[in-house]
Amino acid sequence: MSETPVDELGYEAARDELVDVVKVLEQGGLDLDASLALWERGEALAARCEQHLAGARARVEDALAGRDDD
Amino acid sequence: MTSPPVSSPENPLPVRSVATKVAGWIDRLGSIWVEGQLTQVSVRQGTRTAFLTLRDPAADMSLSVTCSPMLIQSSPVPVVEGARVVLYGKLSFFTGRGTISLRATEIRAIGVGELLARIERLRGMLAAEGLFDPRLKRPLPFLPRAVGLITARASAAEKDVLSVARRRWPAVRFEVRNTPVQGPSAVPGILRAIAELDEHPDVDVIVLARGGGSVEDLLPFSDEALCRAVVAARTPIVSAIGHEPDSPLSDHVADVRAATPTDAAKRVVPDAEAELALVAELRARSSAALRGWVAREARGLDALRNRPVLADPVSGLDRRGEEIAEMRRVVRRDVRRALAAESTAVDHLRARLVTLGPAATLARGYAVVQRVVPGDDPEVLRSVVDAPPGTQLRIRVADGSVTAVGMGRVAAPSTASERMDP
Repeated sequence: MSETPVDELGYEAARDELVDVVKVLEQGGLDLDASLALWERGEALAARCEQHLAGARARVEDALAGRDDD
Repeated sequence: MTSPPVSSPENPLPVRSVATKVAGWIDRLGSIWVEGQLTQVSVRQGTRTAFLTLRDPAADMSLSVTCSPMLIQSSPVPVVEGARVVLYGKLSFFTGRGTISLRATEIRAIGVGELLARIERLRGMLAAEGLFDPRLKRPLPFLPRAVGLITARASAAEKDVLSVARRRWPAVRFEVRNTPVQGPSAVPGILRAIAELDEHPDVDVIVLARGGGSVEDLLPFSDEALCRAVVAARTPIVSAIGHEPDSPLSDHVADVRAATPTDAAKRVVPDAEAELALVAELRARSSAALRGWVAREARGLDALRNRPVLADPVSGLDRRGEEIAEMRRVVRRDVRRALAAESTAVDHLRARLVTLGPAATLARGYAVVQRVVPGDDPEVLRSVVDAPPGTQLRIRVADGSVTAVGMGRVAAPSTASERMDP
């Protein structure tokens, strides 16, 4: 596959691609191999998004916890 | 004419010959018209000769005049002292007394009309010379060191000027010069007084004052010599002659024309009481203005002090602190909200992915087996035919994939046998 490795995608890129993956799967018409590969890519993108969001949430909470001590 | 007779201390001339020669010389002058003012008229009963004195109205000069008493009695105008007359006569030298006199044979009085016409002519001439020019008028001093007053002795004009001026300014100083104010000696006397007061170091203003009178009475104040002296004087001169309607030429050449002597007094000295009242009023107004200014400024300062920024300097900081806190609260809420929204979006995407993909099927225990093709994407394994022993396989289950190698193959009893055994 020619896609960028999921680990190298930023949050927006990962999310946008995930949206596209879902759309393509919803349209159907793919053979099992292609849809299986697309689905696996989607899973990986979703995991990447969750990873990003978790990191962002942790940074926000850390920053607030540090600042509230002032 | 004749050359003077030879005389020396050794050869003096006798009186008779001098007198005779003078008489002869004067006799040759012939008859002339002379104008002047009569100062003496003496007609003695029983004499054949009347004696008059004719005086120049401006200069201190006079002529003796004789005439027949009949001429005086038959004159169409009264020949009295003070009258302006024109005489026709012949000068003669009386050898007996050594005097010269004019033997008059005709006397003409100068009428009022003629006098006014002369004044008008003089007025025109002086105006043409520019002597009435307002630019020549000198201003009166506010408070003269001394006031020169030229007026008749013990006259109402003198009394008016002195009393009114003293009532207005008790400390006023006068330099009074009493002169005749009518008749032939008026002009010379007034000229002397003007010259004297003009020289006086303390006199800052000169008042010419005279009560009302006839045209003839006021004549000296329309005299050309007097008018020129008024113009020439360095000291400002106030003309206060007669009553309001009287307008001798001195009124026009003077620096200030006062309607009456009382008016002149009002103009030359300030009214002390009025001035003091004015000063008091100005002081009161200026101090009130200053107090008002101070009060206004104080109010302005108080208002500035009471402005929130000065009255409570911390309040501005507090407000800004509150703003910052509010913004921080908002930004925290927003970032959490944004994270939550994104999480929800990703959850939804994942949920859809689950429904679309084989995840649920895989979760039930099914697996998808793919044949790994080197250099190509893996292919789903649909038949044992495609997987001879040793084939690399990828088995996708619910939570990942397993790689395996086919060890053998068994066809399903019903369908696959003819395929396995061709």
